[in-house]
Amino acid sequence: MANAVELRGIHKTFDHFVAVDHLSINIREGGVYGLLGPNGAGKTSSIRMMIGIIMPDEGEVWLFGEKFHRKQLQRVGYLPEERGLYKRMKVLDHLVFLGRLHGLTEHEARKRSLAWCERLQLSEWTHKKVEELSKGMQQKVQFIAALLHNPDLIIMDEPFAGLDPANAVMLKDVLLELKKEGKTILFSTHRMDQVERLCDAICLIDHGRALLEGDLKKIKASYGTNHVQMQYEGDPQLEGSDLVQSFNNYGNYVELRLKPGADAQQLLRTAADRARISRFELLEPSLEEIFIDVVGRNA
Amino acid sequence: MHNVWLVVHREYLERIRSKTFILFTLLMPALLAAGVLVPTKLSEFKSVGAQRIVVVSADPDLANAVRQELLAPPPGSTAGSPAELGANDGFVVQVITTPSDDLRETLRQHVSAGIIDGFLWLNADDLAHHKASYSAKDVADFETNRAVRSAVRTALVKQHLAQKGMTGPQVETLLTPVELKTVHITKGREGASGMAVFMTGFFMVMLLYVNVLVYGISVMRSIIEEKNSRILEVLLSSVTAKELLAGKILGVGAVGLTQIAIWLIIGAVFSTPGIVAAKPYLSDVHIPVTAIALFGVFFLLGYFLYSTMYAALGAMVNTDHEAQQMQWPALLPILLAIFLANPVMQHPDSQMAVWLSLVPFFAPILMFIRVMVETPPVWQLVLCFALMLATIYGLLALSSRIYRIGILMYGKRPTLPELRRWLKYAG
Repeated sequence: MANAVELRGIHKTFDHFVAVDHLSINIREGGVYGLLGPNGAGKTSSIRMMIGIIMPDEGEVWLFGEKFHRKQLQRVGYLPEERGLYKRMKVLDHLVFLGRLHGLTEHEARKRSLAWCERLQLSEWTHKKVEELSKGMQQKVQFIAALLHNPDLIIMDEPFAGLDPANAVMLKDVLLELKKEGKTILFSTHRMDQVERLCDAICLIDHGRALLEGDLKKIKASYGTNHVQMQYEGDPQLEGSDLVQSFNNYGNYVELRLKPGADAQQLLRTAADRARISRFELLEPSLEEIFIDVVGRNA
Repeated sequence: MHNVWLVVHREYLERIRSKTFILFTLLMPALLAAGVLVPTKLSEFKSVGAQRIVVVSADPDLANAVRQELLAPPPGSTAGSPAELGANDGFVVQVITTPSDDLRETLRQHVSAGIIDGFLWLNADDLAHHKASYSAKDVADFETNRAVRSAVRTALVKQHLAQKGMTGPQVETLLTPVELKTVHITKGREGASGMAVFMTGFFMVMLLYVNVLVYGISVMRSIIEEKNSRILEVLLSSVTAKELLAGKILGVGAVGLTQIAIWLIIGAVFSTPGIVAAKPYLSDVHIPVTAIALFGVFFLLGYFLYSTMYAALGAMVNTDHEAQQMQWPALLPILLAIFLANPVMQHPDSQMAVWLSLVPFFAPILMFIRVMVETPPVWQLVLCFALMLATIYGLLALSSRIYRIGILMYGKRPTLPELRRWLKYAG
């Protein structure tokens, strides 16, 4: 299958700060792709270069198998992190305006806006001014604006940030549905739990460089099942043991990583000798741990 | 182009439909009408009764002569000119021929107490130096001052003439002033009178100045608003910064033109009674069609020039407050043009006026003044437009670079070195 997005060594410097450092990633068509990284890692700059808001100093952006040109933007829906609406415009007028900017006819934009408003329970608000809407409702209008022209590639920068829980669930459902339709969804986040639940593939970037890229399942598998989650009473004195590489006490349970080659069964026996074990579970590493590990190694 | 059109379309409709626009469009002519009518009406009401004046002079002949002049101004001396519209209901004059410091003090107190309106002190020494003093509570009452001055002068002249043996009707004829009628010549034809040219010129220049500034600032404010509402990045996913900037400036400019057109129509419909009421000031007002057309052209060019600067400012700052501190580079040239307006209006043909009016930043005001009070050569107008267009083009290039970066920057405003780097950024 073709790549929806290909970044070929894009590089961007602001003043003397390198925002994106020769970044190359490939995002296959279909599926959900997560762009992760700590704040200031270069996620937003990368996304902005993907859709021509800023131009890379070096490198090329390819969309849908062609070198970037602005006409392609009619196939892209973008929800920026910093998103807003014209406060004094009426909801329907606003959606029609944004739809037409994406190449829809006025008639088509109006029809689709009404359909989406119906679906997201905004029908009664289409003739109200944006400023009369609650923040949650404005967020819905922003989603609709990004999806109105039925884009093949949907790019969302921190889509769940600042979202109320009900809208977060709604957005997730809409995204999963779009995924089923074969759309490509790219979103950036620094929240690992969302990525684990939604993404098929990820790219972890820090300081503008890709530290880890690929299929999420494969990445996790490559880290092996060397993680243990356990609950116990007493103190098994595992911290500093020669079987344990790292130890994290989360209060209700502990999570630890075995040293390479260490045997989990031996760890269980050692722990059981010293404390009452109520739960002992072998796990794939959580993305968060991979994240901390990779970022830590590259710091 | 399609995108620019969509942005213009939105900008235009949203503004035209806004209550502020409708209110301002209707209120402005009302205010202007009030500005013309109220002073006219006020001066009619002004008559506060006769001015009570004491004339003090050791020379009883002179004092009585002044008194006579004040009581019965010679025909034709001042009557009939527009400035006389608010003249007083005459004078009540008392003559005292024994000047003393005590008397002066008493009179001062009388003025303060309102028993008299003022006193005229004619001292032989001062008169030898063509000086006299008039003390009153309301020294800004130009009508009274003028009447008193003219009475003293006429009395003195008559006294001198009498000493040389001239009296009676001979003197009156001699003292009748010449009435100078000023006529404006455009393209070899005689047009409106000087006063009317001055008034209409002044009025239209102010209108131009206000509109260029109002709409320029309006562009800046709406960019700040767009920055604050975080709509820009949403738009940038389908429109380029250049298209946005062009659409904004064109859209707001179209609103400005619409407003001016509405004002012209309102003016045409309602001006008749207004001009009739202000007739003494605006004798045969006549705004030529070319002036109206050029008004539109100068508005558009001036607006484009200043709004591109204001757009860059708007993109650089985050709040109206910051914008106010930063707007002097855009405000200064047009204010300077307004300060230079008077000298240029006095001597529209002088070399200085010609050069100044060709400076693109001054041209919307100064060249337009020259268009109103004389007919500048065509080559100067063409050169002026060419220079303005070139400046607009250059400013647009700079502004769009600042705009492109600035609208994505939130937080602190750029320093000058940062700004220089913004201008150098690629694509």
